[in-house]
This record gives sequence, C-alpha cells and structure tokens, in this order.
Amino acid sequence: MRNASSWAAEATAVFVKEWRCEFRTRYALNTLALFAFTTLVVVSVSLGPLGVSASQGTAVLPVMLWVILLFSVAAGLPRAFVQEEETGTAMALRLAATPSALFCGKLAYGLTLVLALEALLTPVYAAMMNLQVASPGLLAAVLAAGGYGLAAGSTLVAAIIAQARSKGTLFSVLSFPVLLPLLLLSVELTRLAVAGSPAGVALPQLLLYDASVTVAGLMLFPAVWNP
Amino acid sequence: MKNPLAWLLWLWISAVIVGAFFYAPLAQGFIGESSRILFFHVPMAWVSFVAFIAAGVWSLLYLYRGRQPRHDRAAAAAVELGLLFGVLATVTGSLWARIMWNAYWNWDPRQTSIVVALLFYAAYLALRSAVEDDNTRARLSAAYAVLGLAVAPFLFFIMPRIMFSLHPQSVINAQGKVEVESRMVQVLLAGSAGFTALFFWVHNLRCRIQALSDRKSAL
Amino acid sequence: MVAPTLQGGAFQRTAGYIPHVTSPRLEFTDVRRRFGRLAVLTGVSGAVEPGGMLHVTGANGSGKSTLLRCLSGLLAPDAGKIEYWEQDREDGAPLGMEERRRRVGVVAPDLAFYAELTVAENLAFFARLRRVPPERGLGVLARLELPLDRMAGALSSGMRQRLRWAFALLHSPRLLLLDEPFQNFDAPGERTARELLAEHLAGGGLAVVANPSALDFDHAERLELGR
Repeated sequence: MRNASSWAAEATAVFVKEWRCEFRTRYALNTLALFAFTTLVVVSVSLGPLGVSASQGTAVLPVMLWVILLFSVAAGLPRAFVQEEETGTAMALRLAATPSALFCGKLAYGLTLVLALEALLTPVYAAMMNLQVASPGLLAAVLAAGGYGLAAGSTLVAAIIAQARSKGTLFSVLSFPVLLPLLLLSVELTRLAVAGSPAGVALPQLLLYDASVTVAGLMLFPAVWNP
Repeated sequence: MKNPLAWLLWLWISAVIVGAFFYAPLAQGFIGESSRILFFHVPMAWVSFVAFIAAGVWSLLYLYRGRQPRHDRAAAAAVELGLLFGVLATVTGSLWARIMWNAYWNWDPRQTSIVVALLFYAAYLALRSAVEDDNTRARLSAAYAVLGLAVAPFLFFIMPRIMFSLHPQSVINAQGKVEVESRMVQVLLAGSAGFTALFFWVHNLRCRIQALSDRKSAL
Repeated sequence: MVAPTLQGGAFQRTAGYIPHVTSPRLEFTDVRRRFGRLAVLTGVSGAVEPGGMLHVTGANGSGKSTLLRCLSGLLAPDAGKIEYWEQDREDGAPLGMEERRRRVGVVAPDLAFYAELTVAENLAFFARLRRVPPERGLGVLARLELPLDRMAGALSSGMRQRLRWAFALLHSPRLLLLDEPFQNFDAPGERTARELLAEHLAGGGLAVVANPSALDFDHAERLELGR
C-alpha cells in the first residue's frame, strides 16, 4: 500500500510541476498581477486620499482590498484545473495521480499564488490609499487565513467547473456564495486590524471556515475528479 | 385528487389561510393588517431552508450510497422548489418591510441569509445546465450542494454579528424575532407544518415526473 | 484463424498461453454506456487471460474508444461488470475502479502531455506520481528513441505517439489498453512498439487493442463491435 512519504512526494511533484509550468508561461502571475493593479488604479483614482474622508476610508478601504483579491483570484486561479481539461493533460493525470495528493498539490500552488499576490498588493494598496494599519500583526494573520480560504474554496470550485461548459462565468457564479462567509469575516477582521481593536470571535470563526473548506475539499475532490 | 393525504393537505392549508385572516389576532405595533403576511412569509422562508438541507442530504446520499439517479433527481427537485419558495419568501418579506419600515430592502440578517440561499440555488442550477453528461452532472452538482451545506451555516453565525455592528440602529431586536401571542404561534406553526408537507408533496410529484422524463429519453 | 465475436454474443476466452498462471486476468460482462440518447455500448462482454490479447474492431463510432475508456476506468459504464485481477488475492476480489485506473497502461489518441515541459520532465513528473524511480522513464525513452530535452509541445505527431507509449510503459503495467497504438508511427517506431507489445505479452501481460485494421499478431482474439 502506498505510504505517507510517497503521498507527500506526489503532492510535492504536483506543486513543483505547477510552478515550473507557471514560470515558463507566466500566465497566472501576469493575469493576477495585471488584474489586481488595474483594479487598484481604478479604486485609487476614485477613492484615493482626496476622494474619500478618513473616517469613511477605514470603513470602505478594507472592503475594496478584498474585492480586488477576490476578483484577481477568480481571474487567475481556475486555470489550474481548467487548463488540464482543455489541453487534454487531465487524462494522463487521472491515470497517474492519487486524487488527494493532486488536490493538495494544486491547493498549495493556489495558496502560494494568493499569498504572493497579497504580499505584493497590500503594501502598495496601503500606500496608495493612505491606509494606516494599527495592528499589522493581525492584518498579516487575516491575509494568511483569508488567503488560505480563498485558495481552498477556489481550488475545489475550479475542479468542479473544469468539467463543465462556460467555465469563466460559471466559476464566479459558483464560488461567490461559497466564499461569502470568508469575505465577510476577512473584511471585518481587516477593519479591526486597521482600527487596532481586538479580533474577538471573528478570527476563530475564520479559522473554522478554513478548516471546514479544507475537510470538504479533501472529502469531495475524489468524487469530483474520479469519473 | 384521489390521494386522501392530498385532501388532508388541502384542508390543512385552507385552515391555515382562514386562520391567518380570521383566527389569529393582529400583532401589536404592526400597521393595519400587514402582520397577516407573516403567516405565509415565515413558513415559506422556513421551507426554503428545509429545501437547502434536504438537497444537501440527498446529494450526500447520491455520492456515498451508490450513485442512485433517484437521489440526484431528489436533490435537483429540492433546489428548484427551494428557489421557488425562497423567491416567494423574499418578495413577501420585502413587501412587508415596505409597509413596516418604508423600505423594500434593509440587508438585515434574515434578508441577507435568504439572498445567499437564493444565490446558492441559482449557482447549483447554473452548474447543472452547463454539464451535458448525466453522470457528470449529477456528480458535480452533488459535490457543490455538499460544499454549500458545509459552508452555509457560517452565514447564520456571522451575519447577525456583522449586521448589527454595521447597522446598530436596525429595527429588529437581537433575536430577530417579534413578540407573538399564542394564537399567532399556533397559526405560524400550523402554517410551517402545512407548507413543509406541501413542499414534500410537490417534491414527490416533481421527482416522479423527472423519473418518467428520464426513462423516456433513455428509450 | 479465430472467428470474430459479435457484440452481445457469447464471449470467448483467449487461449492461455502460459498455462497454470491465472493472473493477471481481465473480464468484462454486459458493459453498457450511453451518451444522452445515443447508446454506444449495448452489452459488450469479453475476457483476456495471461499473455493474451484482445483485438477490438469495428467501424467508426462503434464504441471501441468508449469500451477502452471503460476498461481503463476513465469512464464509468452505465451497467455491466469490469473485473481485473492482478495478483491472486486470498479473497479473490478484483481491483476497484480507481486502483485499476492507476495500474493499467494506456495509449490513446487524446492522451496529451505538458507542452511547457520537456519530454524528460514530463516523464519524470509522471514517474513521481506513479512512485516509480525516475530512471525508469529514461530507460523507456531511450528504447523509443525520444529526445530528452525537446519541449513536448514541439514534438511531431510520430514523436508524440512514442511519448504516449513511454507514458504507458512507465510503471511496468500488467494490462495494456491501446487505442490506435500505431497511428502516426514511422516504420522504425512501429517496429519498436510491436516489439514492446510482444515482450509484454510474452511476460504474461494482457493487452486490449482497438485498431480498425488488422494487427497481424498471432493468437489475438477478436471482438467486433457494431450496431
């Protein structure tokens, strides 16, 4: 029977393959970055330091950050599964890979993409919008936990829609209800981080959401992936 | 209708309607007769959520109890009916909100919850219409329904807290409930039971029609 | 010569060319599969014994590829049984569909590989997924005379077909499911592939080959699909 260390090697192989392909085409990186920064410019121009008062800013700016993240992820992440189906490599994957290892490898790839995007976007966003963050530690925690939830939910939904038609619009339609609790919690926690208030019950709820989506993903992915 | 249970259901719902207008008193603090709408709005919203859970359960059965087509049919029918009842509940609710608070929409926790449920239903049906192969369609939509079931409960815990932190001047109290008298409670409960039975009856019909339709297209 | 076996009729076993060996073994009974209104497979049965080969023939659209995909576990049949035994287990149970899918070796026209990776990288990736040493891939590649450092997207159709064979043989499968395995081959390529197939059968392996034309293999049992 296959043992645990081989499983980890499989998942790592998937992760490495994703990034190797990504570095050679730079498709997802370009899409994510381009989308994020275009949206950022639009937001900044209309809501920048001169466009909105400081008090309104602390209410609105956290929301916009997460909206930008959400739509950037929707633009760039589904490709992880959609491209496998469209180029026909999914057949070889189905013949060779263990579903759980495949899911975790793709999830790790999506997560690193999201975290990289957040690391790039957040400082620029804060600078352009003149956003003062009182608890940077909490903000980092929210970005990590919220980013993980984004990646996990998006990876599973991407696997679902990859086998359907009209994948672009379908991804947004399916993922939004699933990600809504995550977004609400992340926005709330971001606001608290900006204001310097304690996190309260929201952070455990966010972590619980992450755990639920992970368990659901691991449980459902084989059913989605296997014929 | 030959089925005696169908007759019973007809009588029950008729009694609820009569009771809503003549038996139950008007609620305190409501404008005119507007509280009557609650006897229909609340049961329908309740049924919409029952449909959500039922779709999730049937989807689980489909995935893990032998991939039986009848479970897939049941889940899809539950979502369709959940959408119908959900839309009706939203419309009646917003009409009532207009009368009570002079605004069709408030984004209070209940309204937001029903909207998100409707989004799930619409997404599920959109997914189904985007997959041609029967087995794949059943499998993918069942997975999505279970995912929805895993994620949706968070909304019930998060929403009230967030809504009230955003809108402290909301008119509903922390429980989101309104004070009710016992006769109103009776009609409400009877209405909820009646509408739930109605849901399962229509659901049963829908499943049977779909089963016949599937058999026909297999010929 | 062996008389062709018509679909739906009594199935014949291939003669056991390695007597007293009972595994690996493949048996499929009354396999049915429809796509919407179109019934592609309407009750196909057959069996393959160690060292045996089943040659599936039929006109275009008769269900050859569908049957092979069902046998490989890439497609679930609507009805019927597919049983594959690799080793004599105490309980006598065949492998489950998911395990069967990962154990078989498949060549098919729609099998595709990662265009941004080299030939060697592709096979190394699949070797890691299949948990075989990456050097195995190199051995097979050398036999098939594939250029290691060529991008898979830049291969000619004949080279792609060789890569498919390399992928199929990577994990030393006991059952080969080959759908038009000699298409696009030049003469040396086809010769090498036939040698590999003969060696596989001589070693007690099974093969099911879908090919419109005659295969010129001795002792191949024929299964003709038709309406």
